[in-house]
Amino acid sequence: MSARPAAPTTMAIRLRVNGKRHDLQVEPRATLLEVLRERLDLTGAKPACERGECGACTVLLDGRPVNACHLLAVQAAGHAVLTVEGLAARPDFQPLLDAFVACDAGQCGYCTPGFAVAAYAALRDAPQADAMAVRWALVGHICRCNAYDAIVGAVLQARERQPAKR
Amino acid sequence: METPQESALHSVGEAVPRQGLPDKVRGAARYTADLKRPGMLYGKLLRSPHPHARIRAIDTSAAEQAPGVHAVLTYRDAPVARIDTDLAVLDSVVRFVGDEVAAVAAESAAAAEDALALIRVDYEPLPAVFEAEAALAPGAPAIHPGGNLLGGAPLVLQRGDVAAGFAQATRVFAGTFRTQVHGPVGMETRAALAEWDGDRVTVWKTSRAVHVPDRMTLARVLGLPPGNVRVICTNMGGGFGNKDEGRLASIVALLARKAGRPVRIEYGRSEEFIGGRNRQSTLNHLRIGVAADGAPTAIELRSVMNLGAFVSSGRNVVRRIGQGALYLYRCPNARYEGVSAYTNRPAGGSFRGLGAPLGHFALEVLIDQIAAALALDPLDYRLRFHVPPGGQPGQRSTPAGQLLPDEPVEGGVPFSSNGLRECLEAGAQAIGWRERRRPNGSATGARRRGIGLAIGLYKGGTGREAQAEVRIAPDGQVALSVGVVDVGQGSSTVLAQIAAEVLQVPAAQIAMTLADTARTPPGHITAGSSTTFSTGSAVKLAAESARNRLLEHAAAQLGVTDAVLAGGRFQPRGGGRSVSMAEVLAGLPEAVVGHASLTPGSTEHIVNSFGAHFVEVEVEPESGRIRIVRYVAAHDSGRIVNPRLAAGQVSGAVLQFLGITLREELLLDEASGVTLNPSFLEHKSTAIVDFPPIEVLFPAGPDPAGPFGAKALGEPPVVPVLAAVANAVANATGVWLHEVPFTPRRVLAALAAGAGRAGGRA
Repeated sequence: MSARPAAPTTMAIRLRVNGKRHDLQVEPRATLLEVLRERLDLTGAKPACERGECGACTVLLDGRPVNACHLLAVQAAGHAVLTVEGLAARPDFQPLLDAFVACDAGQCGYCTPGFAVAAYAALRDAPQADAMAVRWALVGHICRCNAYDAIVGAVLQARERQPAKR
Repeated sequence: METPQESALHSVGEAVPRQGLPDKVRGAARYTADLKRPGMLYGKLLRSPHPHARIRAIDTSAAEQAPGVHAVLTYRDAPVARIDTDLAVLDSVVRFVGDEVAAVAAESAAAAEDALALIRVDYEPLPAVFEAEAALAPGAPAIHPGGNLLGGAPLVLQRGDVAAGFAQATRVFAGTFRTQVHGPVGMETRAALAEWDGDRVTVWKTSRAVHVPDRMTLARVLGLPPGNVRVICTNMGGGFGNKDEGRLASIVALLARKAGRPVRIEYGRSEEFIGGRNRQSTLNHLRIGVAADGAPTAIELRSVMNLGAFVSSGRNVVRRIGQGALYLYRCPNARYEGVSAYTNRPAGGSFRGLGAPLGHFALEVLIDQIAAALALDPLDYRLRFHVPPGGQPGQRSTPAGQLLPDEPVEGGVPFSSNGLRECLEAGAQAIGWRERRRPNGSATGARRRGIGLAIGLYKGGTGREAQAEVRIAPDGQVALSVGVVDVGQGSSTVLAQIAAEVLQVPAAQIAMTLADTARTPPGHITAGSSTTFSTGSAVKLAAESARNRLLEHAAAQLGVTDAVLAGGRFQPRGGGRSVSMAEVLAGLPEAVVGHASLTPGSTEHIVNSFGAHFVEVEVEPESGRIRIVRYVAAHDSGRIVNPRLAAGQVSGAVLQFLGITLREELLLDEASGVTLNPSFLEHKSTAIVDFPPIEVLFPAGPDPAGPFGAKALGEPPVVPVLAAVANAVANATGVWLHEVPFTPRRVLAALAAGAGRAGGRA
């Protein structure tokens, strides 16, 4: 019988999430996704593969889309994390939200926040993206309802409606 | 009361936005694994490393003493009551690699995971068997006490006399077709959260049916009256006919009881692939006898299905394999025999379409081969010989006055509607069949192009007891309560539209309550594409009942004997001063409630949905790679309640099954029983760049039996996909593929086997 394991050590980190500062004690092995969901109750980023293969947990780290399941919380310390909840509070997310609803770009909706976060970043970086560019920008995301055609339509519609300056 | 005329429909037929979608996009919609309760613990499951073994001893003492651990559950804690005849909550025998052995509840998921490693299990390995044929052979290790043949005998369904039919045939064609294991792969993995309050428990779970089976299973297993068990499904992250077994919820409830605190468990992705329920692999032997003109005289299908370790929904799956062979083509003599065998593979279950796409694969490929052998155009063959609106020849066997089955076998009964012809014609026109399709494909050389088609039929969602309650509060708030689960297909939106149509209010104003045993009337399982038809019929009736009560009050207010609802206002029949719903309600002391309970269906007609798919492919004979160039899906699902949601259902279904057609397959190492590719990286589902946009057509009209003319939609679009692609590939290359998925390796092997235009028709 193996010995009773020692209590895992924890580390103190400071996370900046959606503009708010959080001082947390976390296990070194805790992922950013786990901390966002279970410690901060920000559950918009979804666990679906937990190894960076599906995009459902996408958040913005210093503005870049990353898989929160594939990043340790300690690695995110000192960086700015923006989750879908943070994005949803911003006016420049509204065109994307409206377009997703108008185009029915989500069925069960589980992958939808991840798509929306990535689409936000894609439109910001390439405001003139065409349909194929939109598809390739979202290629790391899986939607098992296969609402892909509607998602592409929504991103193109949001592109037309986005404010002149983001 | 009158039904609104077609021209008067204002909600049914409109592209009303999906209920709840804004919250989903914003990340505000809570799914089971998003929920937390005060003091909640996190659970993890220990799974078997053996495909078949008996647990001699299990030592949980170290795990129980590990930091943060509050409870450990093993088969010794499992109640006598079983989840299913072949499934205990936890068992002293494990039957596949990944079978649940124990569960731990701890302060964090990591602590629970750590504690799993401290559980010592002494296994006595038993002989294992992985293929159905081997499992049925004499001397094979018995996986369950009753032996490996499910039910002790094959399922046999027949009409007429196939022996006589084959004797009449001028030619007999035969083929063998194989399909592999398909993972439904909902993005949300299975999850459950249980919280006790004395001898009452609330369970939040991924679910297709909170009332039956979920609540009844939990009550039985936990030894509680059903009234002490509340089951809720807040949002479902993809159903696809899956997530219906009760083991996870039972384990979580027992673990929470033992720990004295709420417990939540969600599967990881590999657990979902292995410990979830996948589509069973099958081997299908099909024979069709035809007369000189090509008319089928006998159709006989024998299928062998590999159940895996537990039957789950397998009885329904195996029955559906035969549906196409029994009914898609007009034929007086048809026979289906379905054999289901237990093996030590991960358990099968139900996945969108159940067995129907598998049987249709065999049928529609062999029909194409027959057409080719008789030098008939495959479209013309189907236009000529598909089952007509009048149904199959023969004698009705269902007693008069009884509801007819929607998975029919008997002849002598017409369909309520049958739009196969409309679908064939509309789809053919859209893809340019007459102009562009050539008997031997449209190109030669490095890339060959071909066009193919396949048709299909599917049950219409009848026969499920359904209830609904419509409550109109004095302040005008309309609430609709139904016990079914919206698994992501959009049923809450569609049902709101049906109620809105009757009450002449905007669908967005209807507050929906679903999937909560404490707050909804009993509801049926979200299965068999039944919600629109069955619960939709109940919703329509409940709304009509509420409306009729409003009409009585309105008539009294107006001082007339008979009032009608028109243009959203209540007025005397024949016209005159009208009043609004608010004015009618203002005079009432309490809410107006309409309740309905019914078993929908028809005593006169078979209700089925139909479709015809047309696909153009490009095949590279050098690489074996198949590219989808165009895809047209034409469907008869009666009146389309919400065209945008419906188009999304069809497009999504086709894209989902194109992945299954070309690529998806769960692989098992038969030396160890280990599933080899339980991840998105190694089991590649359809991605956003893989296929062209799907062209969706609804050329048929309303059905006389369905609510506002609607029929089933969710599953029918998956039925013809496998065969449509196979037939397009055959048009391009001369070779029909007989095994799904059509990976480059299988394509190359089939091409190399020289099963070309001469030999390809078995």
